[in-house]
Amino acid sequence: MSKIMTVDILSSIKGAQPSKAVNKLFEVIKKANPSHNNAFNSTLNSVASLDHLRDDVVIESSELEKQIIIQNFPKSKNNYLVVSKVIEE
Amino acid sequence: MDSQIEKLHQQLVDQDISCKSLVQEKLDVLKPNTHNTVNTLLDKMALDLAEKVDAKIASGEPIGLLEGIPFGVKDVYMVQGTKTTASSNLLKHYTSAYTATAIQKLLDAGAIPIVKENCDSFGHGSSSENTIFGAVKNAINPNLVAGGSSGGSAVNVAKDYTVFSIGGDTGGSIRQPAGYNSVYGLKPTYGRISRYGLMAYASSTDCVGPIARSLEDIRIVLNTMSGKDPKDQTTYASVPISKESLSHIKTIKAVGYFKNFIENKAIDPKIKSDFLMTIEKIKANGFEVKPLDFFESETLVSTYYTLAMAETASNLSRLDGTNYGSRVEAENLKETYSVTRSQNFSEETKRRIVGGNQVLSQGFSDEIYLKALAIRDQISENFENDFSSVDIIISPVTPNTPPQIGSSLKDPLAMYLSDAFTVGFSLGQLPTLTVPQGTATGLQITAAKDKDGLVLTFANFLKDMM
Repeated sequence: MSKIMTVDILSSIKGAQPSKAVNKLFEVIKKANPSHNNAFNSTLNSVASLDHLRDDVVIESSELEKQIIIQNFPKSKNNYLVVSKVIEE
Repeated sequence: MDSQIEKLHQQLVDQDISCKSLVQEKLDVLKPNTHNTVNTLLDKMALDLAEKVDAKIASGEPIGLLEGIPFGVKDVYMVQGTKTTASSNLLKHYTSAYTATAIQKLLDAGAIPIVKENCDSFGHGSSSENTIFGAVKNAINPNLVAGGSSGGSAVNVAKDYTVFSIGGDTGGSIRQPAGYNSVYGLKPTYGRISRYGLMAYASSTDCVGPIARSLEDIRIVLNTMSGKDPKDQTTYASVPISKESLSHIKTIKAVGYFKNFIENKAIDPKIKSDFLMTIEKIKANGFEVKPLDFFESETLVSTYYTLAMAETASNLSRLDGTNYGSRVEAENLKETYSVTRSQNFSEETKRRIVGGNQVLSQGFSDEIYLKALAIRDQISENFENDFSSVDIIISPVTPNTPPQIGSSLKDPLAMYLSDAFTVGFSLGQLPTLTVPQGTATGLQITAAKDKDGLVLTFANFLKDMM
């Protein structure tokens, strides 16, 4: 059974509410009448072609990169990186 | 104005100045942070690089054109070992672990990054007021906004604090501040320059681009940063634009402009009359000028913001304080995400994330998000048809002159509508350049995809004509 999720839950932002200013923009789209509705008949052509996909290889990070990634981690204790308590619902 | 890069290069080669003194001079003018353009000064890195350039010159080795030239970087680009904050509370202590491809190409050419520049947080804004580092002040009148989101970059260039700066443009974020501060700013064709290492706002329109005081410097920096990058699979291989090609104005026969932009009730009367006067001058120079039909401003702005908000909601969902960023601990993981994001995102960023999740959610995606995608397709088709009859489209950059600092964030809808003339070209992924001529906030020159060279050629003609 599907569960209705409000925008504050979807956005992980406490007390978040839809904005009046943004809703006015959405009203314009709702009222618009595009001449065709095939949203994926795109002329954008910015997708990557299968022939040009890069090789699926693991690239080892440099020592400096690893060190900065660890340094950016918000919390550590006794040389372990600490994450928040995970709950299961 | 002639190329600053060429002039400084010659002075370095002739040893009229040392690279260290050039870099130090720029650091000295940036340090007081008079216009709130500076998030981080890269003084140690810059002076170390400058010493190496001086040593090379002293040993008689030739140097490249960009070698030793100081430049600024909008604070949304990764430069390894430097703070990259996106002007946000969430990332105010974040250090880049790697370097963006576009910036690496400039480093490889010997250019020296000296400053990470203030901007709207995550690119969310048109005034560079949505930042934890203080509102950026306009270079011409410090009571006015700098424009945004690349406001710090445009002001640094206009004040000669940097020789050039690298901005980011999603819906006008290079072109509008360039217009507000009377400098050149280019949004290249989408995919011409790699986005790898640019903090993502709306991935389908995000573009890397240069801001400079001369057209030639735009060309030099564009050529250096362009090219296919396996780390950004939307990039394509482009042909460098030659200096000579900028004189080939005969390749351009017909110029178009959008009637409804000029008939828009919101346009400033002086911007309108100056624009129409420019049109007359272009006609008098023998070009065929065609008025074109286009989408209403409200439709353009609404389509752009619907898609940009959806993409930013997705892109910023990774910012939850788990692996990096300012985590605020709460009773469990979900609460930690929620409190971290609530406390660390600005009101404008939250507004856009919530808007994005609204349009992506079940029940709304068909009615809003998919419909906006369909309108975007129509906009692209419209451009394709236009470019079968004209070579270039020109338009004003903004409907109005820059507002006073403090007024934009109070009225988000007015701020969104101020992007009316820039967002259409972003949705079309077209090369578009702001030139500091024609109206108080400049002119935009646009061509078909991958015709960035044609844009520069017409800009070169306009520079001489005006």
